[in-house]
Amino acid sequence: MTLLGRVPRRLIQLTCFLGAVVLVWPVLPWAIAPRFFQQFSPFVALSSSLAAHSIGVGAILALVVAIISSFKKRWFCLYLCPTGFLLENTSRAGLRKTRWWAKLPPVGRYVALITIAGAVFGYPVLMWMDPLCIFSSPFAMNKATNAMSVILVSLGLGVLVGATFIFGMAWCVRICPLSGFQDMLFAMRKALWTRLSGNPSTQKFLTARRAFFAGAGGALLALGARRLGAARFKRSDTLLRPPGAVPEDRFAGLCIRCNNCVHSCPSKIIRPDTGHEAGLAGFGAPIIRYEKDYKYCLETCNDCTQVCPTGALTPLSLERKNKYIIGVALVDNNVCLTALGKKECDACEHACPYDAVHITWDEDTYNAYPVVNDKCIGCGACEVVCPTTPIRAIRVWTQKPA
Amino acid sequence: MPKDLTRRELMSRSLAAGGLFAAGSLMPVSSTLAQQTPERLPGQTEHKVPASLEGDRVVQPRRDVPVLHKTSVLVVGGGPAGTSAAFSAKRMGVDVTLVERYGYLGGLATGGLVLGIFPLYDRSNKQVIYGIGEEFMKKLDVMKYGIIDRNKAPTYPTIDAEAFKFVLADMVLDSGITTYLDCWGVDAIVDSKGAVRGAVFESKSGRQAILADIVIDCSGDGDIYAAAGAAFEKVTTNIGLISRIGNIDEVDMAPGRGSEDPGKAMVGKPSDGGRPSKGRVNDFNGHAGNSTPAPHVNWLNMRGPVGDALNVADLTELELKHRRGTWSNVEKLREKPGNEQVYLAETAPQLGVRLSRLLDGCKKLTNQEIRNGAKFKDVIGYSGAYANAPEFQIPYGTLVPAKVENVLAAGRCISAEFEVADITRLIPVCWVTGQAAGLAAALCIQDTCKPRNVNVAKLQSLLHQQGAYLG
Repeated sequence: MTLLGRVPRRLIQLTCFLGAVVLVWPVLPWAIAPRFFQQFSPFVALSSSLAAHSIGVGAILALVVAIISSFKKRWFCLYLCPTGFLLENTSRAGLRKTRWWAKLPPVGRYVALITIAGAVFGYPVLMWMDPLCIFSSPFAMNKATNAMSVILVSLGLGVLVGATFIFGMAWCVRICPLSGFQDMLFAMRKALWTRLSGNPSTQKFLTARRAFFAGAGGALLALGARRLGAARFKRSDTLLRPPGAVPEDRFAGLCIRCNNCVHSCPSKIIRPDTGHEAGLAGFGAPIIRYEKDYKYCLETCNDCTQVCPTGALTPLSLERKNKYIIGVALVDNNVCLTALGKKECDACEHACPYDAVHITWDEDTYNAYPVVNDKCIGCGACEVVCPTTPIRAIRVWTQKPA
Repeated sequence: MPKDLTRRELMSRSLAAGGLFAAGSLMPVSSTLAQQTPERLPGQTEHKVPASLEGDRVVQPRRDVPVLHKTSVLVVGGGPAGTSAAFSAKRMGVDVTLVERYGYLGGLATGGLVLGIFPLYDRSNKQVIYGIGEEFMKKLDVMKYGIIDRNKAPTYPTIDAEAFKFVLADMVLDSGITTYLDCWGVDAIVDSKGAVRGAVFESKSGRQAILADIVIDCSGDGDIYAAAGAAFEKVTTNIGLISRIGNIDEVDMAPGRGSEDPGKAMVGKPSDGGRPSKGRVNDFNGHAGNSTPAPHVNWLNMRGPVGDALNVADLTELELKHRRGTWSNVEKLREKPGNEQVYLAETAPQLGVRLSRLLDGCKKLTNQEIRNGAKFKDVIGYSGAYANAPEFQIPYGTLVPAKVENVLAAGRCISAEFEVADITRLIPVCWVTGQAAGLAAALCIQDTCKPRNVNVAKLQSLLHQQGAYLG
C-alpha cells in the first residue's frame, strides 16, 4: 500500500478510537452511551441474543457491521476497532521479534464457534474475549474502590497491550473472536455466492472435524458452567449481583466483563469479582459490595441496568429496579448494638428507604432488635450505616431460591 | 482471673464516691438557705382544706399557695439541661433557683443510667460539643472511676452515675444556686397577660410557689410550658429502663466497648456459619451492655415498648414489667458458660423516657434541615453526628415558645420534629440547649427583655466565652 492509501485509514481509525472513548467514558450526558459501543460487535450481538432468547434494538448496529464485514474482509478490524488501533500502534512501537504465532491455526473463529454453540445452551462461554468490552473495561477504573478492582478492570487490555508489545499482532490476527467471527461471515457469504453461481467450493474454511469439536466443546462447557453456577448459588451466601441480573447459572456466561455497570454506578458498590466468590467461571463478573462510608443502591438510580450490552443485566425501569430483589438484609443479634443493649442505635431503621427495617420490641425476650420485613430489596442502605466493626450487624445476603 | 465484685462491694464503692453528695442531699440543698420558711401572705390560713367529694366529683378548693421563694431565673428540672442552664445563668451573676423532682441531680444521665455520652463528634470524629458539658467531663476526668473513653472518637465516653451525681452536688453546693430537691414542678404561674411568672411545686412541704422573672422548663416533659398554655406536639416512643450488671466483663468484654472502633476487636461473635437466620430471637449470647468506669460493671440499655410518658398507668406498668424483665434477662445471661457470676447491680431509679412533649417554638427544627446541614444565624450550638444524620446546628428559636412569654425550653422537650428531637434528646445535646437557655435567661434579666427579644449576637458571644462550640 502506498503512503497516501494508508493515511485516510489511520484517520478513520483515530476518529473511531476517539469516538469510542467518548462513548465509554462517558462524556456524553447520556448514561446508556457505553452500551451502544459494545453493541457494534456482531459477535456479542449474536451470542447474547441466542443466550438471552431476545434481541435488542442495538442489534441493528451489529447487523450493519456484520453485513459490511461479510463483503469486505476484516473491514471492522482495519477501520473501526479501537482495540485494533491501539494494538496496531503498540505493535509498531513494540519488539516484534518473533512471529511464531503465525503458525497457529486461526483460533479466533473456533473461539467464536465455541461461544456461539455455548450460547445456544444459554451460556456464551467465551464472549468476554470480545475486543470491544476488553477496550471499555478499564474506563471503569474511576469507580474502583480498591486496588484489586483497578487491576481487574484493566487486566484484559493490559494483557493484550503487553502481549502485543512483545509478540506483535498475534491477538488481532489469530485469537480475537470478533475477527474470527468476521472471517466466518466473509467465508460464508463467499460460499453462498459460489453456491449460487453454481461453482463448486474451492476453499476450505473450517474443517468439519474442528468445527464439530468446537461446537460440542462449547455446548459441554456451557452446560457444565450452568450446573456449577446453579450449584454455587445454592451453596454460596454472599454473592450479590447488580439489579436486573439473570439467574446465577447463566449470569457469568452472559456477562462480557465490559464493566459498564461498574462504571455506571454512582455509589461505587459494583465491583468485578476476583473469582473468590463465584469461582473461575465468575472471574471478573460484577458483584455488589456494601461498604462503610460508601453509598448503597440508590432508589433514584437504575443506571447499571441500562448499560449492559448483553442482557446479563435486564434493563429495568426505575420503578421496577426499586422492586428488584438484590438480596435480603439479615440481622445478627449477636453483634447488633441494640440487641446487646450496648447503645441507643437505630441507624438501620432510619436509613432504610423502603420502610423495611424496624427496631421491634419483643415482649417475650424482653429485648429489642431490628426486624426486616418483606419490603426489603437488599439495597444495602442499612448495611452501610451499621456502626459495628469489623462485621456489621445488619448485612445483605443473597435470597436463596425457595 | 479478676476478682469477683460482690454487690455489697459495689454499693460501698458507690457510696464512697457519692459520700459528699449524700451529706449534701438534705432538702433544700443550698448555700443560700435564707428562704427556708415560706412567706406568709395576708389572709392565708395555716390549715389546709382537703379536696372534697361532691357527688361523683372531687373538688379541690380554691386556695392561696404559699410562696417558697422569689428568684430571677427559675430552672425547673435538674437533669443535664437544667444543671447546665442553672450553672451558666448563675455565672452571669443573676439569682438562680434550681428545682429537681428526684433526690439527686443529673436526671437521666445519673438516675436514668444513660451513661454513654453521645453524640459528641461530627462525621470526621471532631468533637463539636464543648461548653459546660465539657467542664463536667473534665471534672470526671480527674476522678478515679469517673469516666472512660474520653477523646477516643468515634468511641464515645461513658461516665459513672455516682461520680456524676457527686460532681453536680459538689458544683451546686459551691455555686450559690438556690436548690430544692425532691420537689416536683406541677404548674405554671401565669399573670393576667398570660406571661409566666413562676411555677408551683409539690414536695413534703406541700404545695408551694416559686416566683421568677424567667422560667426555664428543663422538666423533659415540658410540664411547665404546657401548663402555661404554650402549644406543643405530643409524641409517644419507646420507654425503657437501663440497668447495671456486674461481673460480666470476665467473659470476653475486655477489648470491650469499641464495637464502633475500627481498631478494636469486636465484642459479640457473629453467628456460626456467617448467615444469621431470619427472625432469630435475642439471647445476648453472653454479651450484654457496655463497659462503664466501674470495673466489671456494664450498663445495659433497654429500648422498651412504646408508651405514653404522660400517662401514669403506662409509667407504672413499665416500671414494674421492666424490672421483672431485666431480672429474668440477667438470669438468662447467667446460664451462659462463664457468666455464672453475673449479677444485677441496679435498675435505674428513673424510667428511660425518651420523648413526650415537643414545643411549638419560634423555630421548629426539621429533619430536612439537619440532613441538609442547614445553617442558622441564631445558632446556639451543635449536635454531633448520630446514626445516619450528620452533625447539625441548633438555632435559638427552638428554645422559645411561639406564644407564651417569660419561659424558655431546654433539653429533650425543645421545638423540633420527632426525628430531630430523637437526637436532641441525648445527654450532651441537652447540655448544649441547657447552657444556651441559661445564658439567654440571664440576658433577659440583665437587659430586661423577653426571651424572644434576646440579643442573639450577645448570647453567642457569651456562649463563646463559656467555651461553647458554635462552628
